[in-house]
Amino acid sequence: MTQADARPAVELTGITKRFPGLIANDAIDLDLRRGEIHALLGENGAGKSTLMNILTGIYQPDAGQIRIDGVPVQFASPVQAIAAGIGMVHQHFKLIKAFTVAENIHMGWSETPRRVSAAVLERRTAELAAKFGLAVRPDARVEDLSAGEQQRVEILRVLARGARVLILDEPTAVLTPGEAAALAHAMRGFIATGYAIIFISHKLDEVLEVADRITVLRAGRKIATLPAQDCTQSQLATLMVGREIVAPQRGNAAHDRAIGQIVLQLAGVSAVNDRGLPALVDVDLALHAGEIVGIAGVAGNGQRELSEVLTGIRAVTEGQVRIGGTIMPNAEPAAFLARGIGHIPEDRLRSGLAPSMAVADNAVLREYNRPPVARGLFFAVRAAAALARRIVADASVLVPNMRMPVRNLSGGNQQRLVGRREMRVAHQALVAAYPTRGLDVGAIEQMLRYLIEMRDRGVGVLVISEELEEVLGIADRVAVLFQGRVMGIFPAAEADAERIGLLMGGRAEMAA
Amino acid sequence: MIELLTGMLSGALLAGGVLVLGALGEVLAERVGVFNLGLEGLMALGGVTAIITVAHVASAPLGLAAGILAGVAGGVVFAVPVVLLRANQTLCGLALTIAGTGLAASVGRPYSGQPARAVFDGVAIPYLSELPVLGRAIFSQNLLIYVIWIILPIALHYLLFKTRHGINLRAVGENPAAADAAGVPVVLLRFCYVVIGAGFSGAAGAYLTLAFVPSWSDGITGGRGWIAVALVIFAGFRPYQAAAGAFLFGLITALGFVGQARNWPIPPAFLSMLPYLGTLAFMIVPVMVSRRLQRRLAAPASLGLAFYRDQR
Amino acid sequence: MRVQRVASISGGVVIASRIGAVIAALLVGGAIFALAGYDVPMLADNVVEGSLTEFGIEDLGLLVSPLILTGLAVAIMLRIGLWNIGADGQFYAGAVAATVTGLAFPGGNDAVMLVVLALAGFAGGALWILLPALARAYLAVDEIITTLLLNFVALLFVNYLCTGPMRDPGQAITSASARVTTEIPPLMGDLHWGLVAAIVLALILALVFAYTPWGYEVRVAGANRFAAHYAGIPVRKRLMQVMLLSGGIAGLGGMAEVAGTVHRLQGGISNNFGYLGVMVAVLAGGLPIAVLPAALLMAVILNAGIVLQSYGVTTYEVLALTGLVLLFIAISEQLAYYRLLRRV
Repeated sequence: MTQADARPAVELTGITKRFPGLIANDAIDLDLRRGEIHALLGENGAGKSTLMNILTGIYQPDAGQIRIDGVPVQFASPVQAIAAGIGMVHQHFKLIKAFTVAENIHMGWSETPRRVSAAVLERRTAELAAKFGLAVRPDARVEDLSAGEQQRVEILRVLARGARVLILDEPTAVLTPGEAAALAHAMRGFIATGYAIIFISHKLDEVLEVADRITVLRAGRKIATLPAQDCTQSQLATLMVGREIVAPQRGNAAHDRAIGQIVLQLAGVSAVNDRGLPALVDVDLALHAGEIVGIAGVAGNGQRELSEVLTGIRAVTEGQVRIGGTIMPNAEPAAFLARGIGHIPEDRLRSGLAPSMAVADNAVLREYNRPPVARGLFFAVRAAAALARRIVADASVLVPNMRMPVRNLSGGNQQRLVGRREMRVAHQALVAAYPTRGLDVGAIEQMLRYLIEMRDRGVGVLVISEELEEVLGIADRVAVLFQGRVMGIFPAAEADAERIGLLMGGRAEMAA
Repeated sequence: MIELLTGMLSGALLAGGVLVLGALGEVLAERVGVFNLGLEGLMALGGVTAIITVAHVASAPLGLAAGILAGVAGGVVFAVPVVLLRANQTLCGLALTIAGTGLAASVGRPYSGQPARAVFDGVAIPYLSELPVLGRAIFSQNLLIYVIWIILPIALHYLLFKTRHGINLRAVGENPAAADAAGVPVVLLRFCYVVIGAGFSGAAGAYLTLAFVPSWSDGITGGRGWIAVALVIFAGFRPYQAAAGAFLFGLITALGFVGQARNWPIPPAFLSMLPYLGTLAFMIVPVMVSRRLQRRLAAPASLGLAFYRDQR
Repeated sequence: MRVQRVASISGGVVIASRIGAVIAALLVGGAIFALAGYDVPMLADNVVEGSLTEFGIEDLGLLVSPLILTGLAVAIMLRIGLWNIGADGQFYAGAVAATVTGLAFPGGNDAVMLVVLALAGFAGGALWILLPALARAYLAVDEIITTLLLNFVALLFVNYLCTGPMRDPGQAITSASARVTTEIPPLMGDLHWGLVAAIVLALILALVFAYTPWGYEVRVAGANRFAAHYAGIPVRKRLMQVMLLSGGIAGLGGMAEVAGTVHRLQGGISNNFGYLGVMVAVLAGGLPIAVLPAALLMAVILNAGIVLQSYGVTTYEVLALTGLVLLFIAISEQLAYYRLLRRV
């Protein structure tokens, strides 16, 4: 713990922000002291991002006041917040992929010289990197960098602008455990020189380890601000959710259940991503009926391509994809669907749903070609509506009007809808990519329960997740993906966070 | 043979000038992420305004200025819905084209077919215009040619790639949310450069009616606005390449004229089709040949997408 | 008072805002006309009177028919998320194909010949969009410009044919082909059964899009390409099919114009119907069934222009007004999402 300055660096009083149909922030008070790491904790949808967007000038509050070093301020735009020394590193990096690191650092910065050349910008960037102790490559294009490197660029950009208050939004979401530790170390270095840091997270263990004080938000309201040393994980969890959470008995009773035949298999599979770069390298993976295989790994190591290869969306450049024992020669999503492979996609609004189309239309997306929805040449609208109603009911989603665009549903409702829809067609296997991403605790529970239900039905389930806890909690076997290779696959009982963490970071297993 | 070469070169510069102006303006607009399909209408408006102005005040530069202003006005009419209200860019562009060409034709009816009262004449540069081929082709053209082919492309290239402002500008077209978070005034830049780009198109129209043809009639723009848009895509949104492309088209057009003048056995209608077919070829063939080329010529990532800061 | 943006609006609001946009554009247009010195109330009177006579309704019908067809052509491409700005060129191509076929078999059985001509017209239009369709489906080349460029080529080609190889030697008119003997039977005066055929086609397409799996697939592909691919929909195939269908329908428009109205090929036969079809499709929100009232509205506007010709109003003004309506629709599409709130 470091000595904290008396006058708060940032003081938010009574901040309120409303959007159509919901109150995102409701009279929130928050203060941040110099030399402190303050964690902002809450489920998805609790209002953390909104609050920080207000502090950085992207949104304007409907009520309440912001004080910086005791002085009341109003931020009409991000420029003003930056000028006041507030810097935010967003969860989804705000970098220009096509630009180099140097260009990104100098974008929108008044200290950039009027006349620029690549050499000048890169030299200045190197100087800044040395000054703040962050390793970046000034001449690299951002789209070629790893997530960890991109994050360093973001941090450097924020520091270069003279930020004295750093806000980090879910910074470890894209980092390996090793990189996360390095970040924590760097953070403590910053506060020692008088910075103040707010970091947003929903990971309880991380928060307890790194923060000095913790503020919990729930449903737009501040519930409590507590010193970290006085808290326990379960206490925080209860505050976050508002009720006692009992972890459901998921059990790893794999040895009690009969593991069936191989339903879905990759043999020596290699594949490239959209940019033509290798995404999967010589992957061997076998999914059996009645088991859950978890794929752990930091996002961006081939997970997306893995789920696409398994469901026929992406072609392989080498190797074979087999369903049951049959080799699937081409990447044809329809063929995979016909053989009973369900797919909960990573980005539901991009791939799994048509946001502007009605709920009813989206619900029949995987069955529109078969009876009862399709009869010969006809698309039976009434049968489709009935099917949609059934799926919606199974998903426990309240839909006032089936014809309303599916994008009006909350993220959790959309995901449950997609989940139930896929469960209906997944007779052999279900591939779920990040099924709980961005959901609140209640929806997460439900999605995990769906997966267990499928396993109990005898379907093979493959779950890709970045939440180690989650993966270890429900999987029978765990595999780790790093730079497109499977680093190891073993029964969950033999897995522990440290072993997996090493594999995620690329450290190969020492012994068999 | 020399005559042919000189004629082609000279014609290419003259004919291509319209395209360069239109394309450079569109490069600016698309670099900030706005796909302005209204170039055809803006050119028509610029052209007719220029003609009408010189009919009353026999000064070609004044006509040009008026044409630019007409383009700017059209640009504002386009930018307000598209940038401020985030209306559909394709729709508004089409609306601008249809309304612009209709309005221009309507207003220009009394002046149709008459030669412009004041034009940009060729100016023979001392000594240089005596050179063989190049002398007639390059150094005896009207003064606008130098501005269009040399000064503007260099200025735009410098602006886009060698200045701080250029980085911000391009950032807006790539990722407006990132630019906004970094403090770049996204809406302001978008608005300004759309309007400036439209001004370029107005100038292109004025150039058409005061230097190239030079007169006005309905349909005189003949799709050049569309070719300019295609040119920008084919040139990878870069000023020098856009100028080079425009020169290529100028050559194709000049080929058509030369063919007609020399009574080649091809019907004139087909020679007139050359620019359009050529544009088609240039849009399709490069992509067919190389996917890597496609990536290098990639559009600004947020081209055509609206930007909302406060969006839920 | 504050302005707030809502997440989604009902169909009723969409229709109301569209109607509002048209009315606003007409008012603004009227104001501009007034400023230009026209006596607007008198003109409006004449328009109403002129449209309601027998001739007026006939003229209206003659305009509605091609507008329905080009409107449908553009609308069905909108359903899959693409813009067909080349309907004019496809119209020409269909007209050429129909004329060539009609002149090649003079005096054949009318019923059979009509079918043959229709097929020829469809094929002509589909052929004209083939290159842009292939480029879009397989190379991701923007279809807006490719379809549009071919309009210019088609125009030049038709003019060439009409003043050259296909010129009718017996006629005083120097830019039209010989008369095609096969005619679409008349319905009322000059109005022919092509109108009925166009309406029936619109109804069929409306049913296809709503009640067939093919139609469902096209709609999904138009709403979200990635989701369509994920769901196993053959997106490229559907793109090609829809584009060729679209071109073919526009070509049918050309064929109907030749065989029903003008009876010969001539330069300018498209009368900008292709571009106006874009307007019709936008007005109809891309829905085939809504193309019918939208085409009627467009025909009314065009007809007004014709009626007012004796007062110095030309097609140019009508086109300018059309552009204005498009702009207002684009604006209204956004404004419809905003509502005024009293300060809470």
